[in-house]
Amino acid sequence: MVPSKRLQVTALTVGALLLAAGCGSGDSGGSRSELKLYNDKGAWKPFFEQMGALGKQQTGLDMTPVGYTDEPTYTAFIKTSFRTNVKPDLFTWTTGGRLEEIVKQNQVAETTKIWQDGIAGGDLTEDLKKYYTVDGKQYCVPLNTAYWGMFYNKKIFDKYDLKPPATWAELEKTAQTLKSKGQVPFNQTTPTSLFSFAWFEQILAGTDPDLYERLSKGQASYTDPGVVKAMERWKTMIDAGWFSKPGDKADPADHFKSGDAAMVINGTWFNTSMTQRGLKQGEDYGFFFVPNVDPALPKRSLVFESGPLCSLRKAPDAAASTKYLKWWITPAAQEKWANARGDVSGNPKVKVADPELDKVTKEAASGGNRLVLRYFEAAPAPVLTEALSGFDKFLNKPETYMDVLKGIQKVNEDYWKSH
Amino acid sequence: MSTHKATADRPKLTVVPPAGGGRRKASGARPGRGFALHGRFRHAYISPAVLFVAVLLYLPFLWTAYLSLTSYDGLASPEFTGLDNYRRLLEDDALVTSIRNTLLWVVGTVVLPVGLGLLVAVLSYDLRRGAWFRLPFLLPYAMSGAGLGVIWGFILQPDGMANQILTLFGMPGGDTAFLQDGPRNTVAMIVVWTWQQLGVNMLLFVVGLQSIPKAPIEAARIDGASGWAMFRHVIWPLMRPITTVVFGLALVAGLKNFDIVWVMTQGGPGRSSETLAVTMYRDVFVANEYGYGSAVAVLLTTITGLASYVYLRRQVSREELPR
Repeated sequence: MVPSKRLQVTALTVGALLLAAGCGSGDSGGSRSELKLYNDKGAWKPFFEQMGALGKQQTGLDMTPVGYTDEPTYTAFIKTSFRTNVKPDLFTWTTGGRLEEIVKQNQVAETTKIWQDGIAGGDLTEDLKKYYTVDGKQYCVPLNTAYWGMFYNKKIFDKYDLKPPATWAELEKTAQTLKSKGQVPFNQTTPTSLFSFAWFEQILAGTDPDLYERLSKGQASYTDPGVVKAMERWKTMIDAGWFSKPGDKADPADHFKSGDAAMVINGTWFNTSMTQRGLKQGEDYGFFFVPNVDPALPKRSLVFESGPLCSLRKAPDAAASTKYLKWWITPAAQEKWANARGDVSGNPKVKVADPELDKVTKEAASGGNRLVLRYFEAAPAPVLTEALSGFDKFLNKPETYMDVLKGIQKVNEDYWKSH
Repeated sequence: MSTHKATADRPKLTVVPPAGGGRRKASGARPGRGFALHGRFRHAYISPAVLFVAVLLYLPFLWTAYLSLTSYDGLASPEFTGLDNYRRLLEDDALVTSIRNTLLWVVGTVVLPVGLGLLVAVLSYDLRRGAWFRLPFLLPYAMSGAGLGVIWGFILQPDGMANQILTLFGMPGGDTAFLQDGPRNTVAMIVVWTWQQLGVNMLLFVVGLQSIPKAPIEAARIDGASGWAMFRHVIWPLMRPITTVVFGLALVAGLKNFDIVWVMTQGGPGRSSETLAVTMYRDVFVANEYGYGSAVAVLLTTITGLASYVYLRRQVSREELPR
């Protein structure tokens, strides 16, 4: 019976190995000195590493970034981690419906105390708090804050004696001038459809911010006359030849570098792309907030995004993760973080080294703005997916705008029926 | 009858003990026993493979089939909704586009890379230095699908190299939106796919041509056959084993196509270039509609399984199929 014994030994060995692998796959918990920060910002690895070094000095906790570059894969990984023993110490996410989704599943560690202390100490703001609040409690802390506005090519503007517009009419005039000089006024935001919503949110929020907010909560229809009007305005601008061709595979920053792009709507984080190409803010390019379409609105609608840094309720070492989140919002950490990336900070105490960026930060914090959450976070995932495809279709075939809106509305209705 | 005969004639796989007698022979074991694949423990030898396939393929498939009957966002527990997802599939306009594109891929893959591969193989077979003629066709196969998609994405973009070349030579269509309009974008991607896959199909056909026995060809020549008649009535039938494999692989590749579409267009713009595999990925991982995406996955698996079965049943005679 030699084969039988061999089989038994083999089976036992394989079983033992599988058991060991199963047991060893998760984090054993307990006191940790090194945290892993899972994120969907693979390109930010050097900046995370700088934060890791500073964090180790100031908190004793080392941090290693684990960066993903593909958003769907990252989202699937994080969701899967909730059900397995492989749990991140810290992870990045998005505010809005997606944060609410994972909070409702009782997965995310509450950070109400960090927010209370942060606001009392001036490191966090009330303005930002509502985006991190679910059912009256706060979750996660701001990883980053960014405002959306227009990057413009200073050399092109100087050449045609143009200035950042203060009104929508001036913006249109600027576009007309550039077009008449053979320059395409607006570059597409990205090579992919990821940010195909940028002009939709800008036009709608600048026309009727209440409608924009109702839309994202399922309280308005995508076929509402106000939404249709916003799409028609966008179509008119495309028909006027103000936009670069969709489907261009190059990053807008490359078009700035080559001198082809005159303007592009983007988040302030786009500064990182520009500086990585050796372009200097204030010299090669500038930034202005897009004026409202409707000049009668009391405040300028300012599209903003804030990405949360979260930890799990059942984190491998909850105390260590919380300690790190508390440190993350301090001025020392935020100053390093903002300046490393060349971006603004959500912490009002932070002095941004770049004077142009500092000006943007101060202007955003002034009382004349009404913050509206970026569409990417504001729309629920299935609606956003449909909308991104729809706007992408619209960019290529503007005459399809009603079909696009009806398509999004169908998904919107289905979603809000069950949520 | 013939099936029984084929089975009876099938050789049994047996590990022959080393000449001169090994340890087992010295212990008195009969030759062919112990390590034989037809003994009492024959199932033990294949059980690891069966286990892996079951755990990594069949269980996930069954789980996917179950999820297709639920509403599931990847977080809360799946909620059983019966055939709702399948009803929704029937009403989904985007799915119609997706199925149309998938069929285009199947037809395109079978006609272009396979057909052209066969043509190049036949034309270059008797050619002096035929291998050098075939080399340029084979080189693109060394590229990964993702790399191919990135490069061709740049070439076919609105102001890309393709349009620039057309404009440079004063040819019409210098402003063609290769990847912006459906179904033109699908056709463009099939052409790119052909550029890469032609070589490997050609290589397989060359191997098939080389495996043809010389005698029937000589006999046909003596009977006066040549050119098209020789190919159609002698060479083509004799190449049937390899054509079955090549066409079968092309069929499945066309049905499951994902990577090149995802890299070049992500199924867009406006879902115009989605295939079923892209639709499945989009619904599950981008829209987080795991239940609906699973229904698309089940549909794709069913179509692929049925198409493969029908094709193989037609191509491979009953005698040739394993029992």
